[in-house]
Amino acid sequence: MEQKKSEKIMIDVQDVSMRFMMSNDKIGSLKEMVTQLIRGKIQFKEFWALHDVSFHVEKGEVMGIIGRNGAGKSTMLKIISGIMRPTKGSVVRNGNIVPMLELGSGFDFDLSGRENVFLNGAILGYSKEFLMEKFDEILAFSELGEFIEMPIRNYSSGMLMRLAFSIATVVEPEILIVDEILAVGDENFQRKSRQRMMELMSGGTTVLFVSHNLDQIREMCNRVVWLDGGTVRMVGETQEVCDAYKI
Amino acid sequence: MNKKKADLTRIGRFVMGFYVLCVLIFTWTAWEQIQNSRIRGAAYPVVAAVLLILLILYFLHLKNCQKTGKKSWGLDFIETVRKYKFLMEQLVSRDFKIKYKRSILGVFWSFLNPLLQMVVQYVVFSKLFDLRGMGITHYAIYLLCGIIIWNGFNDCATQALHAITGNASLITKVYVPKYIYPVTKVLSAGVNLLFAMVPLLLVTLIYGLFNGLYLTKTVLLIPVALVFLIIFAIGVGFLLSSLMVFFHDVEFLWGVFSMMWMYATPIIYGIDLLRGKADWLVTLLEFNPMYHYVSFLRSIIIDGCSPALMEYVVCGAFSLGMLLIGALVFKKTQDKFILYI
Repeated sequence: MEQKKSEKIMIDVQDVSMRFMMSNDKIGSLKEMVTQLIRGKIQFKEFWALHDVSFHVEKGEVMGIIGRNGAGKSTMLKIISGIMRPTKGSVVRNGNIVPMLELGSGFDFDLSGRENVFLNGAILGYSKEFLMEKFDEILAFSELGEFIEMPIRNYSSGMLMRLAFSIATVVEPEILIVDEILAVGDENFQRKSRQRMMELMSGGTTVLFVSHNLDQIREMCNRVVWLDGGTVRMVGETQEVCDAYKI
Repeated sequence: MNKKKADLTRIGRFVMGFYVLCVLIFTWTAWEQIQNSRIRGAAYPVVAAVLLILLILYFLHLKNCQKTGKKSWGLDFIETVRKYKFLMEQLVSRDFKIKYKRSILGVFWSFLNPLLQMVVQYVVFSKLFDLRGMGITHYAIYLLCGIIIWNGFNDCATQALHAITGNASLITKVYVPKYIYPVTKVLSAGVNLLFAMVPLLLVTLIYGLFNGLYLTKTVLLIPVALVFLIIFAIGVGFLLSSLMVFFHDVEFLWGVFSMMWMYATPIIYGIDLLRGKADWLVTLLEFNPMYHYVSFLRSIIIDGCSPALMEYVVCGAFSLGMLLIGALVFKKTQDKFILYI
């Protein structure tokens, strides 16, 4: 391990385990619940989505997370961003986290683009003054032009994504979580967004990056965590881990 | 982003000023009730002053906590409000905009709805079934007060019911304190309730001209009634929204239950209807919070005098009690929401 910079640790994940209780049949109603209770038949099957996962991310690092479907990547991200509380273990976060939202979540489709900038911005924790100040920048980056006044239900998915990306990256968050996002928009926008990501990273933002696209990972990340079946298979330099993963 | 600490001195001054204003208005509008109660004479100013001093002391304590970095419930509350005020504003205005977005009359429906409903029910219950002969004077206004309060509450509760399940896509992606969702739903329905006061006052004015019913200074107490109701609704909203996550049946149960509750509340009939026939129901009504809120408003609008002081205590107790129960259930279950939605 050559990378032993003792810089500030931004995210410290320690022995995190996440257990899901899966009932045999999902109990969705009171009646089922009562009948199941009477029969004494509620059994749970334990399912550990994550098992003793530990790693840390240093300031300014771009950390990739790779793994096959169901390896626990999304669960890990949810725990890191505070949406889920781990069953065991702890996560220490030193800085504000801005999650890059998936297509459309956080948007209200009956509102105009402008109104959505404010709504979505508020959800991401930006202040009103900040949004007012940066509105033009968001608009310019998203290339939406006059469409910004239209209800976004009329937008194409590319337009939506451009808007979402522009809102999420206008702030310089200390920690940015990106879940497979860069494959949107036309080539021009993809280039622009990659450039913006690079800017953010060189500006000291710590990025957590989940993708199945190994080329992207190789291109952008400093270090990579390989999750496999809920455990850490490997942590280390990008090339090393990617090579091992490919085999 | 905003890492600054809250300016407690300013907030403190504001709260103090607000308190004094409330006391003054209350004293002016409810003077008779105060005179008739146990705290007449010297006791009343003493109680008011003691509360003010307690308030000041608490703020000094908070300032101290802020300086030493000690945790305190009040400080947490202020910080959260500061931090999420903008988000709450946005969510409330979203709900509000969406509600009437595609209708031609738009916000006007907030005024029109209770009015039309009153007309229908007035015709039904005065022409078809004559409920007026139960010692209810000004039946139209009596009905309107009841409808507005009940609809306001029902709207709040029904909106809040879907607060968590409806925002599932957000809750699974971004961390925001979850209680924001039911609270904003209730608040946006509360804005509607506030708008409904306009037709109520207008109709009362017009009706009053012909029937000798005059609004008095007690209309200043309307906000008190609304605050009680909104706090109660937030409590119910907490309870319903968290139950809804685990049992979707709650939606349908609530439909039936709210109908039952509506008929158990004297909205279209007077409480005198029950006397002699079902006295146990009359006793039971005392435990129906909605009955208290409805009579609170009626007393302000129709009787033109403040409710007895005891009513304030009862209404306040119901509101805070419900809020407490709802908040406890919500707090207990909120970590599991994500696994079920």
